[in-house]
Amino acid sequence: MMQMPGQEKSRIFPVFVMGLFCITVMAGLLGTLLPSINYLPVIGHTQFSLSPWFDFFAYPGFQTSLFVTLFSGLTASFGAVSLAFLFISFSYGNALWKFFEKILSSVLSIPHAAFAIGFGFLIAPSGWLVRMVSPALTGFIDPPDWIILNDPAGISLGIALVIKEFPFLIMVTMGALGQLDIEKILLAGRALGYKKEQIWLKILLPRLYPHLRLSIFAVIAYSLSVVDIAIILGPSSPPTLAVLILKWFNDPDVSFKLLAAAGSLFLFFIVLLSILLVYLIERSVYFFSRSFVTNGKRNSFLARIKPMVFFIVMCTIGFTIISLVVLAIWSLTWQWRFPDFLPAVWTLKFWVKGLISSFDPVMTTLFTGMAAAFIGLVLTIGCLEHDVISRKNQAGHNKVRNYNRYLPYFLYLPLLVPQITFMAGIQLLLVIMKMDGYWVTLLGAHLLFVLPYMFIALSATYLAFDQRLFDQAMLLKRSYTSVLFQIKLPMLLKPILFSFAIGFSVSVAQYIPTMLVGAGRFATITTEVVNLASGSDRRAIAVYALIQQFLPMMIYALAIIFPKILYYNKKGMQV
Amino acid sequence: MKHFFLILLGLIVLSGFSQAVAKEWGLIEKAANGQTVYFNAWGGSQPINEYIAWASGLVQKKYNVRVIHVKATDIGDVVSRILVEKAAKKQKNGSVDLMWINGENFKAMKENKLLYGPFSQKLPYYHLADIKNKKTVVYDFTVPVDNMESPWGMAQLVFLYDTKKLVKHPKTMLDLLVFARENPGRFTYPALPGFHGTAFIKQALLELIRDPEVLNHPVVRSEFEKNTRPLWDFLDSLHPFLWRKAKVFPTSASQMVSLLNDNEIFISLSFNPNSASNAIENGELPDTVRTYIHTKGTIGNSHFVGIPFNSSAKEGAMVFANFLLSPEAQARKADPKIWGDPTILDTQKLAGRDKALFDAVPKGVATLTSKELGRVLPEPHVSWVQALEKEWLKRYSK
Repeated sequence: MMQMPGQEKSRIFPVFVMGLFCITVMAGLLGTLLPSINYLPVIGHTQFSLSPWFDFFAYPGFQTSLFVTLFSGLTASFGAVSLAFLFISFSYGNALWKFFEKILSSVLSIPHAAFAIGFGFLIAPSGWLVRMVSPALTGFIDPPDWIILNDPAGISLGIALVIKEFPFLIMVTMGALGQLDIEKILLAGRALGYKKEQIWLKILLPRLYPHLRLSIFAVIAYSLSVVDIAIILGPSSPPTLAVLILKWFNDPDVSFKLLAAAGSLFLFFIVLLSILLVYLIERSVYFFSRSFVTNGKRNSFLARIKPMVFFIVMCTIGFTIISLVVLAIWSLTWQWRFPDFLPAVWTLKFWVKGLISSFDPVMTTLFTGMAAAFIGLVLTIGCLEHDVISRKNQAGHNKVRNYNRYLPYFLYLPLLVPQITFMAGIQLLLVIMKMDGYWVTLLGAHLLFVLPYMFIALSATYLAFDQRLFDQAMLLKRSYTSVLFQIKLPMLLKPILFSFAIGFSVSVAQYIPTMLVGAGRFATITTEVVNLASGSDRRAIAVYALIQQFLPMMIYALAIIFPKILYYNKKGMQV
Repeated sequence: MKHFFLILLGLIVLSGFSQAVAKEWGLIEKAANGQTVYFNAWGGSQPINEYIAWASGLVQKKYNVRVIHVKATDIGDVVSRILVEKAAKKQKNGSVDLMWINGENFKAMKENKLLYGPFSQKLPYYHLADIKNKKTVVYDFTVPVDNMESPWGMAQLVFLYDTKKLVKHPKTMLDLLVFARENPGRFTYPALPGFHGTAFIKQALLELIRDPEVLNHPVVRSEFEKNTRPLWDFLDSLHPFLWRKAKVFPTSASQMVSLLNDNEIFISLSFNPNSASNAIENGELPDTVRTYIHTKGTIGNSHFVGIPFNSSAKEGAMVFANFLLSPEAQARKADPKIWGDPTILDTQKLAGRDKALFDAVPKGVATLTSKELGRVLPEPHVSWVQALEKEWLKRYSK
């Protein structure tokens, strides 16, 4: 068979992406490695030594901090992954699933910081939940002295992480499900007398897992190195490792930079070890569960925990929604004291002030997010097209190299290496090259995090596209590009816009890259939220957090509405 | 007669000098025209952000200097960025032109030669600053300022309490301990090494130490344990009665404003004597909140603005720093309705319109009079900060 045209040319996309990701992350790591072995000439440290490492391990509270990081990060990852699996097994296709499918995009778009703030307003001893029942049921005139928020073991942090990671995993799973022939397998399993949960557990999960592996690793890496949620909900003395490291980076005593560098590399090792551990568990489960999978038992012990799983899922949805509501109430508050159920005095003042003063940051956020998502889209589609063409050529026994085989490993790099570990190194590098503080570099830094998520979101649907339609169109003697732009992409408009919206929302949520690479010169709505969160005014914080939430939601809404309007007369295209 | 000539000579020299200063200032203003100043300052408070926006607007109008407020969560982060720039040999076009700074950050900047200056003596309004009575304007946490930063405002540790919850407020640290025992869980202080937490610890040490004189000198390692013993004993007995039994500490004094408003705690603290009045104006606290200080007095300090060595808008930065010192800007800043940050100016030196500006500043409902605020205790020698923070972390952040 003739080689498909464009295979050679299209490789530029994956090669470019892999090069960009590899070089930036490696350079960032190098910029962290050197200070961690006591090499930072500007503060007079040029003698290589391991003293930063010793200082790090000897820092007061190091052990507790490590324990809290591991405990909250790993339990949260485990919780989110098992919840996602259980939820799919129990609910795939039912009403709750469909409802969740509908709200998924809006839930995903909620920025972490905004959610954490609302969640804090909700569950604190003086929060809305306690206010709802006080003093009527509890008799509390003053809030109880309970340790809920910022608890030393990181439990509230862990719960927030589960609520935030669960929808992400569902999104990834939805994508992966498209590549398996679910209905057929379910039908066959049912015909053999298996309970639905058993089919999932014994047949579908083992096939699903490989598609989710990298995403699960990303969840682990994120949970272990998260900063914004951990500052708001995590323990304070000592905090988690990532927060501790960020504090050292910002310490006026510059010798702490060495400590911070050592610490952030250590955090990276912790992430790697955890991932390795999970991988080993995966292998051993594969090995030891063979007899379980093939034992032929049709009944399921899982059925017993079904109500509990539903309850937890309802809770995560409920908490997410009520967190939004409590933010909305605070944003309209003038005076709201404990134990009042609602504010005593309401005002629109903070909205008026907030909308005026957030105009510039909102514009910066919009432009950066749009640009990053657009470039991300071009690169994602370019890479995926390369994949499609290469697979086709390989099917035709042409010896071509499909660069996309390696792509995911590179794309996941920025998600697997903790942000603080390599962003600080990148900052140093950019300053040396006199490239810091430019919008273009800021855009590049956002792209590092935007692209992977867009790729995850789009690839399954994109690759599932019935390529025969493409071939048909080609037979009508159109050129490759015009078929791509006039047939394929318009047909895929909905998932493409959805992926765009995800890219945009990821860009909106970036804090550390915006601060470090943008030299502080680019105020986005997220940097404003984090700044205000360091102050005391809950009403101003609430207004900004809601504006921060509104931006991605607006783009999601457009992504849903736009195809409906465009294809109002083409019913088949609206799917 | 001889004296007369000497004085005359002195006057001539002085006027020549001040003419030279005025001429130099004229050149600075001229160079500043059209410059853009990136002013990095903590952005966690809307009233302060609005005040900075007001000042920027006026400077734009009066001097054609564009000031952009770069909001920082933690100014230490800005210090480290400038350090990175120095590492990269970025001698000009630095990302920061002016920054809000004091204490440890100033010390770090000064030691690492990250500051431009001396410059504050060139600012015309600097001569209105009260360098005689306000020692903290000249010594920033005991580090000599040497005109490397320009004063902006004053701070003094005060305690806030809700008169509805508490009839009689404590007057000493030991009183505070008694209060905590009677009201378990209703007092706390921010975690160290945060700025406000360290301030509280220093205040406690000042009140409890046997010989306060040693605090004026660098820490002597061998005597640290003996000298600070009363402090740790005090904290050991206080902590079981703190909010969340001292297992959780607030991250900053700002966070404690919400805690006070929610009655989670009954006593809070602040470094701004007007913060309670400002928060009442702002609806953040009920109007029953008042402030107090301890009988022995409380520690105070000043905050400043400094110019990094690699700023490319140094003149613009100076023009803005000078405007921040002007009676107009200082009086507005002192108004509890706006911000309520005490002035660093010597109001005795003012006359006419300038004096009227300050006379018109209303006294906040919860603000103590300057007589009540009494004697400001000097900060301990700067070396105590790190020693105390380290020991505190070792003991209470396990």
